[in-house]
Amino acid sequence: MAKKALFTATTLATALVASATTVQAATLDDVKARGTLTCGVSTGLAGFSEKDANGNWSGLDVDVCRAVAAAVLGGADKVQYKPLTAKERFTALASGEIDMLSRNTTWTHTRDTSLGINFAGTNYYDGASFMIMKDLGVSSATELDGANACIQAGTSTELAIADYFRENGMSYKAVTFDTSDQTRQGFESGRCDFLTSDGSQLAALRIGLANPGNAIILPEVISKEPLGPVVRQGDDQWFNIVKWSLNAMIEAEEQGVTSMNAGDMMKNGNPANKRLLGAEGELGANLGLDAEWAYRIVTQVGNYAESFERNVGMGSPLKLERGLNASWRDGGILYAPAMR
Amino acid sequence: MKPSGPIDTFQPIADRPAPVQTVGPVAWMRENLFSGIGNSLVTLGIIAFLVYYIPPILDWAFFSANWSGTTEDACVKDGACWVFINAWSYQFFYGTYPLEEVWRINLMLVLLLIVIAMSFTLPKHYRMKASIAAWLALPLVGMAILYGGWGGLEVVSTDLWGGFTLNVFMAAASIIVAFPFSFLWALGRRSQMPFIRSVSVIFIEFFRGVPVLSLFFMGSVMLPLFFAEGTNVDKLIRVWLVLIFFMSGYMAEVFRGGFAAVPSGQYEAADSVGLSYWQKILLIILPQVIKISMPNILATFVMLFKNTTFLLIIGIPEVVQTLQTALANSYWLGGHALEGYLFVFLVFWASCFGMSVLSRRIERTLNTDKRD
Repeated sequence: MAKKALFTATTLATALVASATTVQAATLDDVKARGTLTCGVSTGLAGFSEKDANGNWSGLDVDVCRAVAAAVLGGADKVQYKPLTAKERFTALASGEIDMLSRNTTWTHTRDTSLGINFAGTNYYDGASFMIMKDLGVSSATELDGANACIQAGTSTELAIADYFRENGMSYKAVTFDTSDQTRQGFESGRCDFLTSDGSQLAALRIGLANPGNAIILPEVISKEPLGPVVRQGDDQWFNIVKWSLNAMIEAEEQGVTSMNAGDMMKNGNPANKRLLGAEGELGANLGLDAEWAYRIVTQVGNYAESFERNVGMGSPLKLERGLNASWRDGGILYAPAMR
Repeated sequence: MKPSGPIDTFQPIADRPAPVQTVGPVAWMRENLFSGIGNSLVTLGIIAFLVYYIPPILDWAFFSANWSGTTEDACVKDGACWVFINAWSYQFFYGTYPLEEVWRINLMLVLLLIVIAMSFTLPKHYRMKASIAAWLALPLVGMAILYGGWGGLEVVSTDLWGGFTLNVFMAAASIIVAFPFSFLWALGRRSQMPFIRSVSVIFIEFFRGVPVLSLFFMGSVMLPLFFAEGTNVDKLIRVWLVLIFFMSGYMAEVFRGGFAAVPSGQYEAADSVGLSYWQKILLIILPQVIKISMPNILATFVMLFKNTTFLLIIGIPEVVQTLQTALANSYWLGGHALEGYLFVFLVFWASCFGMSVLSRRIERTLNTDKRD
């Protein structure tokens, strides 16, 4: 309760200040003058923004920062990462401490309209889901009537699962824990029949089990958690740059342009490839960047599929399925507006 | 007349049992552990508990533990995965500070030790002046060395500072700067001037009455909104200021206790020889106040040092935050929280124990009048 009150107070304060100062200096000029992009990330979330033992950042969210740095500054490594907690992320953005926020932030109506911020797209469609032990013999969430649920207290999943069970006329008994680590231990020791959390989080929790192979994640996704990069309101040029840097990664996957073949595609590809990679057209100039902005994104960071596989997909310990996050051509909902 | 009969002969009486042993381990145990039924039961219970729990703990921590390797795959045995601590040890101590610049952190630690040592090894004659100057210069020198940007030193942005050394520096830098301020606040609270007195009381009571966590939130979330557009005060500097205010509020009360404990005869004597207010305070009262307050000053410092771990709540990469970041890395998701927190526990315990040994030593050095 206190947490919520504090959050509301912070949100209000952020909104007040943000509405008072919507006109900002051009972020693009600031970033260029500084020579580095300051990007707000999480303090550690497996696969999305995580630090390794040598202090290097990686992850799906981090790759968005790297893409913007590659487009604007010419080098994906010219990023200064600011680890932020969930509470201070919007203040840090509003006060200008960071140029952009890429920190598994759910795109909601309230945030988009009342905090003086703009969501520049979605780089991961997440949603609450269920994990069960194989020997429970359940293949769908609709068979979970009367089961015990391990839930982390104070998360939005708590609401989502209550709604879902009521909607389907089923009942469950909640066993709540304070941290995700305790939730996992409760699940593992059999205190409950299933564990529920956001899909990406479930994958991370599953690795921590003694026998990850014994647990399966059910196909149902019961809430919408579209995660994406965020910028300040009032600087449309910068908003466009972040939005289209992400779109360039998605579009590159649709076109089959990868970090390996981008050089070849720029010379010999079809007109759409050439437009994307800057051999033709004015896409870069319209953003206030040079022609090869997207070429640098693809060669230095990779297209969306490469980034996904490397950070959260089959090339990573998390082994997440593409699912909703597949390109629209492959049955997902990832869709970049037309690049022309 | 003597009764007739056999002549009295020496009749040995039966041996008495040897006295109950009163020295040696058996006697000690009988006296202390098995002196009654209740005591014996408690002793047996505790022994059973230890026999049941100690071997598995030892086995986990040492015999079945994994010691060598660099990745999680090296942890094949059932015991603790110390490989995790080993792989992340640089981060735990130095944060993301660049490897080739890390001598600057080590230099700072050495300087800190030198200044501490100076405070009670220098000849008495100029100890006070030299060590006070050294203490006050230390935070500035430290900031300059760690941040760089002069004399060919590369700038290392404060985002990269972290780990246990950040806890040490934040604690040291805030207590040093807070020291003179808290002294002034304590004087202000004892002042006869109503304005100064009420300002001091309000300041001290505010920073003592508000939990340090909410102060950190103020520093990280609210404070940036009050600055003018475009002025970005570094997050570390903001929480450093918060720590200084917090610390000076607490220390002011410690000093106030010290002032109250100096006999009023000392004040009157100083007045009667015609010393000015500041001469009286600095030459007569302050040395006695410091001596009296020393145990409390060090206790407050230990408290502040431990409080620096609260900085994790606002995402400052101090040692516990670094640990949590490490636990979230997708190549180390096998659940190493226990090893990690044990490690942090040991590091903090060792530091705080070291400080309390040091503080006893300082108290003995300062204890000039009541030498026992």
